[in-house]
Amino acid sequence: MRISYEWLGDFVDLDGVTPQDAADVLTRQGVEVESLTMVDLSQIVIGKVLEQTKHPKSRNDLWIHLVDLGDRKEQIIAGAPNAIPGSLVPVALPGTTVPNGKVVKDMNIAGFRAAGMLCSAAELLLGDDHSGILILDRGTPGRPLTSVIPSQAVMEAEITSNRPDCMGHLGIARELAAGLDRPLTRDFMPAFTGSADPPGRDLVKVGIDDPDLCSRYIGGVIKGVRVGPSPDWLQRRLRASGVRPINNIVDITNYVLLEYAQPLHAFDLAKLEGPAINVRRAHEKERLLCLDGVARDLTTDMLVIADATRPVAVAGVIGGEESAVTNATTDILLESATFNGPSVRQTSRVLGLRTEASARFERTLPPELALAGARRAAALIEELAGGTVHREWADVYPRPQEPVRVNLRPALIDEVLGTHVPLEESEAILKRLNFHVKVMGDGEWDILPPVFRLDVTIPEDLVEEVGRVYGYDRVPPTLPGHRHDRWTPLTQSVDRRLDEVREVLAGAGFTETWNPALVSYGKLEELRIAAHAMRVSNALSDDMDTLRTSLLPSLVDAVALNRDRGRDGVKVYEIAAVYLARVGEKNTQPEEPLCVAAVATADGSPEAGEKALRRLKSVLDGCISSLSAPACTYQRAAAELFHPGRCAAVVLDGRQLGYLGELHPTVTTGAKIEGRLVGFEIDIEPVLAASRTPRAQPLPRFPAVERDLAVVVEDTVTAGALLLAIKESAGELLEHARAFDEYRGAQVPEGHKSIAFTLTFRSPERTLTDAEVDTVISEIRLGLEKRHRARFRE
Amino acid sequence: MSDPSEMTSQALAAIGQAQSNTELERIELEYLGRKSGKVSAMLSNIGRLAPAEKAALGKAANEAKRAIEGALVARRAELEQARLADLAETEAVDITFPGPPLDRGHVHVLTQVRRQIETVLESLGYQVELGPEVETEWYNFEALNLTAGHPARESWDSFYFSPELLLRAHTSPVQIRAMQRLKEPPIYIITPGRVYRRDPAEATRLPYFSQVEGLAVDKGLTVGDMKGTLLYMIQSLYGRERKVRVRPSYFPFTEPSFEFDVSCGICGGIGCKSCRHKGWLEVGGCGMVHPQVLRNGGIDPTRWNGYAWGFGIERMAMLKHDVDDIRLFYEPDLRFIEQF
Repeated sequence: MRISYEWLGDFVDLDGVTPQDAADVLTRQGVEVESLTMVDLSQIVIGKVLEQTKHPKSRNDLWIHLVDLGDRKEQIIAGAPNAIPGSLVPVALPGTTVPNGKVVKDMNIAGFRAAGMLCSAAELLLGDDHSGILILDRGTPGRPLTSVIPSQAVMEAEITSNRPDCMGHLGIARELAAGLDRPLTRDFMPAFTGSADPPGRDLVKVGIDDPDLCSRYIGGVIKGVRVGPSPDWLQRRLRASGVRPINNIVDITNYVLLEYAQPLHAFDLAKLEGPAINVRRAHEKERLLCLDGVARDLTTDMLVIADATRPVAVAGVIGGEESAVTNATTDILLESATFNGPSVRQTSRVLGLRTEASARFERTLPPELALAGARRAAALIEELAGGTVHREWADVYPRPQEPVRVNLRPALIDEVLGTHVPLEESEAILKRLNFHVKVMGDGEWDILPPVFRLDVTIPEDLVEEVGRVYGYDRVPPTLPGHRHDRWTPLTQSVDRRLDEVREVLAGAGFTETWNPALVSYGKLEELRIAAHAMRVSNALSDDMDTLRTSLLPSLVDAVALNRDRGRDGVKVYEIAAVYLARVGEKNTQPEEPLCVAAVATADGSPEAGEKALRRLKSVLDGCISSLSAPACTYQRAAAELFHPGRCAAVVLDGRQLGYLGELHPTVTTGAKIEGRLVGFEIDIEPVLAASRTPRAQPLPRFPAVERDLAVVVEDTVTAGALLLAIKESAGELLEHARAFDEYRGAQVPEGHKSIAFTLTFRSPERTLTDAEVDTVISEIRLGLEKRHRARFRE
Repeated sequence: MSDPSEMTSQALAAIGQAQSNTELERIELEYLGRKSGKVSAMLSNIGRLAPAEKAALGKAANEAKRAIEGALVARRAELEQARLADLAETEAVDITFPGPPLDRGHVHVLTQVRRQIETVLESLGYQVELGPEVETEWYNFEALNLTAGHPARESWDSFYFSPELLLRAHTSPVQIRAMQRLKEPPIYIITPGRVYRRDPAEATRLPYFSQVEGLAVDKGLTVGDMKGTLLYMIQSLYGRERKVRVRPSYFPFTEPSFEFDVSCGICGGIGCKSCRHKGWLEVGGCGMVHPQVLRNGGIDPTRWNGYAWGFGIERMAMLKHDVDDIRLFYEPDLRFIEQF
């Protein structure tokens, strides 16, 4: 919300309080001032336009003005035609800096001298209007502009959603007065009621069909108004708040909105059928031509203000064009109402239209505010637009605002804040904020919040009121410390445990990435991994409408992104959840297994892929062993995303964790990656669960004997099968067996391969003799011959 | 047959002049070689000598051997000393020549910052609690006083799967779940994790980011305790000269509610370009847990109270490492990730 410092001065004495001081007090109290703009108008002078002619040569529309500056005349060129002869205008002469930062220079435009600039409201930071030159309604040529418009300060503040009362200058001033401990010079409820006969409620019939959506509707009748421009000071304040002046009646309703935070609307009484007001939901297929010139289709969810026959306004959002106040209007109906917040927000959302009014209503305004706003506006209309206000307004109030009393045990203030606030000070603060405090016999305080503070309902709310004015910077920081007789021993977090895995991966050259979990459903479908995908119903865009079911596509994209940025040889990983909808249970939370996935690039040849795959396997083994879990096994498998001939299921203790393999060529080419990719993705939680504290084993006392064995078998026999056979026929003396080479070619028959193993033998009791080892080796050979028709190369 | 003493002096002279270990090895072999060495040769005919001569020759040969051995050891030591004395010249390398690149991967900066935050808070006795990212409407909103139609809900515009199921907009649901599970205070937990809001991506915000929230539930906790905890955390992460300020604000799940700011590390709080001349940088929200929220977590607010806070890990990383665009964290560009 835009706050004018000068306006606040209407309600609180700001003598000795700079705009910066005021901004600091407000921020400290919870009205966060995000920016403070000082508008220095002292360099701008007033000029009077004597002549205006169209620039004869310029291709743009320009007008040449002869301007009287009191002691001299200057020729000034402007791009807007509204500074007709006789206009008083703000002039920035060469060398001055206009408030918007522009430095004015002596110029020559297509042969014509331009000795300065005529300023728009926007250029002077007096409003958003930059469509024309700001025309002044008084002033003496040659005198500084500050003789008619004081320099200004404008604050942009964020108002929290619980404080709609602060969406007007009076509310802000009340905060400031409390913070400065100065009196607020305006009462919340104006005394003005109007006095003309007959009673207003006899002149218009008001009814509310849906009291849930409209808790109060006040309609005041004012007859004989003269519609015309508002006075300069009022227009200026509207402009400073970003509101365009229209006519005195509309301007006054907007002015009171900016002052009291109560939105109002004025209807041309003559254009209301009945005249009657009916607050009801829109009927099917009703349509309203709105004040902004747009005709809108209404739905039955929307609350409208209707006359006897048709809607004339969308409640709380925007008025209708046909019943609007025009220069021909003489009698008006002034509306001040209270609409249901969520309903206004919903309507405003559906219509895609957020107005100053809807922004206030949607936060739920107190019905008492409607009366205050109506009185203030009626008084201003009578004062500035003439007319007579009829007494006894129509005031339909089906759901009167109930006062909420809150009991406060004053010691709670110190207990919650953690510092001592003297009771008198707390009480004084609450009173400054217009709370009524009654000290009861038992020492408790019976507190009545002001009618405009619907947000205060529990004792803690009152602690906050005291605390924020007392000043939280006066609360000393402490650390909590009690003598606890109960605690939870520290368990290492999953993420800290996974740091072991990160270490292995970093050592192997893999870099960690964090990738968005929201991806494109289309992409998942294309990759055929969309079966268990959770699709968002209100996505921002198609490329992030679904939760990923695998981390691998993100990593493939990471490789592609880095390749595009000139990096070959990429190794990346991610540790994150994937999201898998539970089959057949539509409305339940999905499984969110925490996964570790890695992808590495390899050259294009099948051999390069195989080599990279083996290396990746070591990396995965290293990851699992870093968590002190038992080693996993690899079983030939087929899975989406993976190469059909180069994919293994990763199995731990009989449970499948995921897959390791070369990525399918279509996945790679789909990402426009040359060469091959290898990767794995496993569910890491079972690994963490299988983790055991390592127990020390006695160091071997006797030397080991190593033997190599080259086994020739048919191509289809796997190294894993051979290792299993070796272990089973070796007995206890075999400590370790490892495959280290694979060979196909001239030395072995067609359709065969040779796999070389290193076998390590050791006895815990003695040094093994060659003869003993030879015996075991023969057993192994026998086993391999029997089970796999193996032969041996010497 | 040569004279033993002459042979010895020849040998000693040769040793004295030798310039390398190879030379000394050759000399050693020449004189002391078991078969063909000169000392052995001296004794080759000893069998034919008379006993007295035998003894004399044996003694002389022994002395010669010992003298030569002694000289060899001494000369070797001299040569070694000389070699070591000259190492600075003889084996000098271009020490400025860079080493080959290490094929070592990097841990993502968000992991690093998250780890630092967890470590600091664990030192205060807080424990990490995790929870689901796809949450129910009740845990994400209702339990936190964000009832349907609440005007504050606008700040937590969310992604929905169905009217009841959505991507959590904060990690606060984990606080509720933790209270329900732990039941009995004291409860000191932190809840790191990914969260989602329906905000279009720009330099300062993303529709997905990561939070760490903290929750303390105990007897007699105060705003001062909350301030102290935040100050301890910030000083531990950014240095002891940093200050923390709490500003009143509004969240439906805390009362009183605050935003907390950290003094700008560049200007020290005076105001500069990087803090937009405020002297303070907004970091997160905090407050005393609303009694109704405690009740929703199954905790009796007449016996216990609490404070809670939350902030974005990205925001903390941006402040710590001067990152000016939040999107960089989720764009897996190695040129960025490898800087940390």
